[in-house]
Amino acid sequence: MKKNSKLIWGILIGVVILASIIFVFLRAAGGSIDVVGTGSTASFEKILTASNDRVRVDEKNVGWSLEAPDGSVRFIWSGDYSKSPLYDIMLEIDEEPFIQAGLDVSKLPEYYNASEGMLTVGVKLTNDKLTHESDSTPLAGYKQIVENDRKTLGYHMALDHYNVSLGNGNMFEWAKDMQENGVTKEKQDKDIVFVLNPEPLIAAGVDPEKVEGWVYTTVNVEMNGKAQDVYKFLKPVDLE
Amino acid sequence: MDSQVLNIRGMTCAACAQRIEKTVRKLSGIEEASVNLASEKLFVEYDENALSLTAIKEAVKKIGYEVEEKANSSVTIPIGGMTCAVCAQRVEKAMKKLDGVTSASVNFASEKATVVYEPQTVRLSAIREAIEKAGYEALEINKEDAADEDRQRKEKEIKILQTKLVVSALFSVPLLYIAMAPMITFVRLPFPEGLDPMGFPLLFALVELLLVAPAIGVGYKFYTVGYKSLWQRSPNMDSLIAIGTTAAVLYSLYNTWLIANGNFGAVDHLYYESAGVIITLILLGKTLEAISKGRTGEAIKKLMGLAPKTAIIIEDGKEKEIPIDEVEIGDIIVVKPGGKIPVDGSVIEGHTAIDESMLTGESMPVNKKAGDPVYTASLNTTGTIRFRAEKIGSDTALAQIIKLVEDAQGSKAPIAQMADIVSGYFVPVVCVIALVAGIGWYIGTGNIELALTIFTAVLVIACPCALGLATPTAIMVGTGKGAENGILIKGGEALETAHKIDTIIFDKTGTITEGKPTVTDVITIEGVEKNQLLQVTASAEKGSEHPLGQAIVRGAEEKSLEMLPMEHFESLTGRGIEAQMDGQTVLAGNRKLMEERNISLSALEAESDRLAEEGKTPMYVALNGKLSGIVAVADVVKQSSRDAIRELHNMGIEVAMITGDNKKTASAIARQVGIDQVLAEVLPQDKSNEVKKLQAQGRKVAMVGDGINDAPALAQADIGIAIGSGTDVAMESADIVLMRSDLMDVPTAILLSKKTIRNIKQNLFWAFGYNVIGIPIAAGVLYLFGGPLLNPIFAAAAMSLSSVSVLTNALRLKRFKATVRKEGGVSA
Repeated sequence: MKKNSKLIWGILIGVVILASIIFVFLRAAGGSIDVVGTGSTASFEKILTASNDRVRVDEKNVGWSLEAPDGSVRFIWSGDYSKSPLYDIMLEIDEEPFIQAGLDVSKLPEYYNASEGMLTVGVKLTNDKLTHESDSTPLAGYKQIVENDRKTLGYHMALDHYNVSLGNGNMFEWAKDMQENGVTKEKQDKDIVFVLNPEPLIAAGVDPEKVEGWVYTTVNVEMNGKAQDVYKFLKPVDLE
Repeated sequence: MDSQVLNIRGMTCAACAQRIEKTVRKLSGIEEASVNLASEKLFVEYDENALSLTAIKEAVKKIGYEVEEKANSSVTIPIGGMTCAVCAQRVEKAMKKLDGVTSASVNFASEKATVVYEPQTVRLSAIREAIEKAGYEALEINKEDAADEDRQRKEKEIKILQTKLVVSALFSVPLLYIAMAPMITFVRLPFPEGLDPMGFPLLFALVELLLVAPAIGVGYKFYTVGYKSLWQRSPNMDSLIAIGTTAAVLYSLYNTWLIANGNFGAVDHLYYESAGVIITLILLGKTLEAISKGRTGEAIKKLMGLAPKTAIIIEDGKEKEIPIDEVEIGDIIVVKPGGKIPVDGSVIEGHTAIDESMLTGESMPVNKKAGDPVYTASLNTTGTIRFRAEKIGSDTALAQIIKLVEDAQGSKAPIAQMADIVSGYFVPVVCVIALVAGIGWYIGTGNIELALTIFTAVLVIACPCALGLATPTAIMVGTGKGAENGILIKGGEALETAHKIDTIIFDKTGTITEGKPTVTDVITIEGVEKNQLLQVTASAEKGSEHPLGQAIVRGAEEKSLEMLPMEHFESLTGRGIEAQMDGQTVLAGNRKLMEERNISLSALEAESDRLAEEGKTPMYVALNGKLSGIVAVADVVKQSSRDAIRELHNMGIEVAMITGDNKKTASAIARQVGIDQVLAEVLPQDKSNEVKKLQAQGRKVAMVGDGINDAPALAQADIGIAIGSGTDVAMESADIVLMRSDLMDVPTAILLSKKTIRNIKQNLFWAFGYNVIGIPIAAGVLYLFGGPLLNPIFAAAAMSLSSVSVLTNALRLKRFKATVRKEGGVSA
C-alpha cells in the first residue's frame, strides 16, 4: 500500500513536471503548437508587404497573385476554392524560355495547362467555398491555406524557407526572415523562390541547360523529413 | 575476531563494490572486508570488541546501500480452530508473549500466522506449542510458505526489471522509429504526415518528449543512485548513464525551446531517442544480467534443495512427522526405503544401502549397519533404519558443505585484484575522458552536437559492470560446478593457484592405496612358528593406531589367534613399536628401528628385499633383541590411482609419492601406478620438509593426503588436497577437499581450476578489451581519421552486451564435465 502510494506520487510529480515543461514551450510558441503555420503566416505577410505592387488581384482565378520582378512567373492563390476554375494554388509561368529550350507543350502531362503563352501548374485543394472572418485579403487567402490545407505547408531548412507545395514537385518558397538565413546566419538573398520540377519539362523536350531566366540545379529538400538532393528549376528573388 | 557475511542491496557495478569495501575497511577494528558483486555479499572479519556488526551495517547504509537483515527468521504457520477475529488476536498475543518473537500477525481470513522470530532465542516448536496452548491448532507448515526468501527476492527483482524494460521499450521503440524513420533514405517507411519534423517541428519534439518521459520514469534509479554517488564523490555506472542521458535530454529540451521560439532547424538536434533507447538497452542488459546472475548460484540452490523438509521421529513409541527445524539432537529418526536422511546421525537399528552420491558423487550405495554414520540428504535405498540424530541445522555435513561453497563463492581470487584496482578509478577517469573529448571536439570543430554526441557516447559505452563481474561470476560457477562433482574448493585463491600446479605429491597409504592393508606373508627364522610370531606381533600392535599395525591385528584375528596380555607399549614414530609381554621384549618395525637397536637383519635380507620388490611392506620382528621373522603387509592400490596419475602426466604435471615405507616397497607401488619420483622412508614430521624442498626448486606443489600426519604437508603445499575418507584435521588443512576417495578427482579439480581461470582471463580480456577499444572509438578517434562516429545508442547496446557476454561466458563453465576417462584399476 505504502509502495503503491509512493508510485502514484512519483507518477503524479512526473506528470506535473512534464505538463509544466510543455506549458512553457507552448507559451514560448505563442500558444500554438503549429509553429510553422503561425510563423509562415507572419513571414508571408512581410513578403506581401515587400512585394507591394507585384501582389495583385487575379480575377481569372478568383484570388491573388505574387509576380516575379521579371514578370516571367506568378504564384497564385485562390480566395474562394469553390470558384477557382483550374487550381486553388498554382504557378503561372511564361512558356517562352522553355519553348526556346525545346519544349513541346503537347508532351506535357495533363496537370500542366498551356494557354495564351503561359503554363499553369498547381493543385485543386477542394471545391469548398471559403468564408473569411473579415475582408478577403491576400493574407486572409493565405491563412485559409494554413487552416484548411496545412499539409501543403512546409519548412525548408537549408534555405530557412517556408514553402507551399503545389503538387508534383513544384513549390513556392519564401524566407522565414528576409534579413538573415537563420541556419547559415548569412544574409538572406533568396526572399522568394519559384520552384519547378524539371522532369516533366525535360520529358517534353526541354534542354535544362538552355532555359533562360531559370537556374537548373540540385537542391536539398526534405520530404517527410527525408533529406534528398534533387534537380529543380529555380527562380530566386531578392526582394530587398 | 568474528566474521560475518552480509547481503548487500543496491550495488550496480564494480565501483559500488569498491566503495563499500573502502568504507568498511576504514572502520577501526576491521581485519578484512571483501565484496562479491555477483553474489551481492559482503564478507567482513572484525574485532567484535572494537567494532559492532551494527556499526558496519550503518557504515554501509550511510553510503547509500541496503543491508539485508538476516538475524531473524520468518515463518508462516497455518492455524486451525479459529472462529472469529478475536481468536486471531488471541493467537497473536500468545505468540508475542514468547521471548524472541519479534512480530506476529494472524490473518483470520487466510487462517495463517506470520511470525518473525530470533531462532537463537526461541525455537519454532515453542511457537507452535504456544499456539496449541492457546487452544488452536498449529498446522503443518506449507513448504511453499517457507520457500527460499532469497530466491523470491531475486525473482521479484527480475520481474520488476522486466516490467520496467517492457514499459521503457514500449515507449522507446516508437520514439526511435519516429526519430530515425525520416532519416532512412533507401527505403520509404510509413510515417505519420502530421509528425513531419519539417512541417510540424514543435509537435514532433513534444511527441518525442512525451515518449522519452516514461523511459526516464522507469529508469529513475539510474538518476537517484547515479547523482547521489556523484554527489558523494564516488561515481558509479549509474552516474555515467545519468550524466549521459541527462546531457542528451537537457540539450534536446533546449532545442525544443528553440523550436518553440521559431528556430525550426533545431529539430535536427533532438536527442530524446538517444536517452530513451539508452535507458531501454541498459535495462535490457540489467535484466539479462539479473537472470544470468541467478543462474551462477544454482549449485548452492541445488545443494540447499537436497535436504528433506520433514523427519519422522519416534515419540512415545509412535512415529511422528515433524518439520526438519524441530528435530533435536538425540531424537530417534526412522527412514524408510526411498526416504532421505534428514539430519546427520548414527544408525542404531536396521541395515540398508544408502546412496550418498548427492554428497560424495560416489554412485554406488554404501551399506550401513548399526553404528555407521548417516548424512543429511543421502537417500535410503533398501531397508528401514532407525538412527540417532547427532548433528542438526548448521552442524550437518550438508550445511558445512554449503557454507564452505558459499564462503568460496564469496571469496576473491588474486587475479581479481587487478580488476578491483581498475574499477576503483574507472568511473572518474571515464568522466574525465568524456569531458576532455567533448570539450576537445567542441574547440576543434565548434560543433556542439558533435561534442555532445561524443561526450554521451564515452559515458555510456564505458562499462565497469563487466569488469566487476568478470571474476566473481566465474568463481561462483566454477566452485559450484566443483561441488556438484564432489570437489570442494575452499576459495578463489585455491582455485587460482590450482591451475599453476606443476608437481603433485601423493601420500601413499590411504591415498594411492585403499588404506586397508592386509597380512600377506609371515616369514620366520628357524625355530620360530609362523602363528606364534604373528600372535606375538599382533598382541604388541594391539595398542598401535597405525594402519599396518591394525592390519597385523586383523590378520591374527582372522586366524583366531588369542591376544597375549601386554605389559608395556611404546609407539616409536616413523619406526615401529616396542612392547613387553609374557616376559619378552617385542620390537616390530622397519629397518631403521632394527639398525638403531643393532639387530642383524642378514638372515632375512634376501626375503625382505623380495617382499619389498613385490610392493609389500616387510615389518621386522625381533624378540628379546634377536630377529625372529618378518610380517609382510600389503595395501591394495585404488582402482583409479593409475588412471589419475596417467592423466596428470598427460597434463604435464610431475607426480611424486611420499611414504614412510622403505624405498623398495615404495618403488614397487610407484611402478604399479606409474609414479616416477618416490620420496620413501620419510618420517611424518618430515613430509612438509619434502614439500618445502620441492617449492625451493621453484615448483608449484600440491599435496594430496588423508591422514592427520599429512596435515602439515597439506598446509605447507601451495595447494593441499584432502580426500574425503580422510580425517577432519586433513580436511581443515586442505585447500581442496575431494568428497570421495577417487583420485580421478585430482586431475578433475585441476582441470576445473584451469578452465575457470581461463574463463576469468577471457572475461577480463573482453571486459578490458571492450573498454580499451570502445572508449577511444566513442571519443571519436576513428572519426578523427575519417572513420565512423559512434552513436550513443550503439554505445549503450555495446555496454549492455559487454556485461551479458561476460556472464554468458561464465555460465559456459556450467557445461564443465569431469571428462577424464576411467579404466579398470590396478591392485597390489
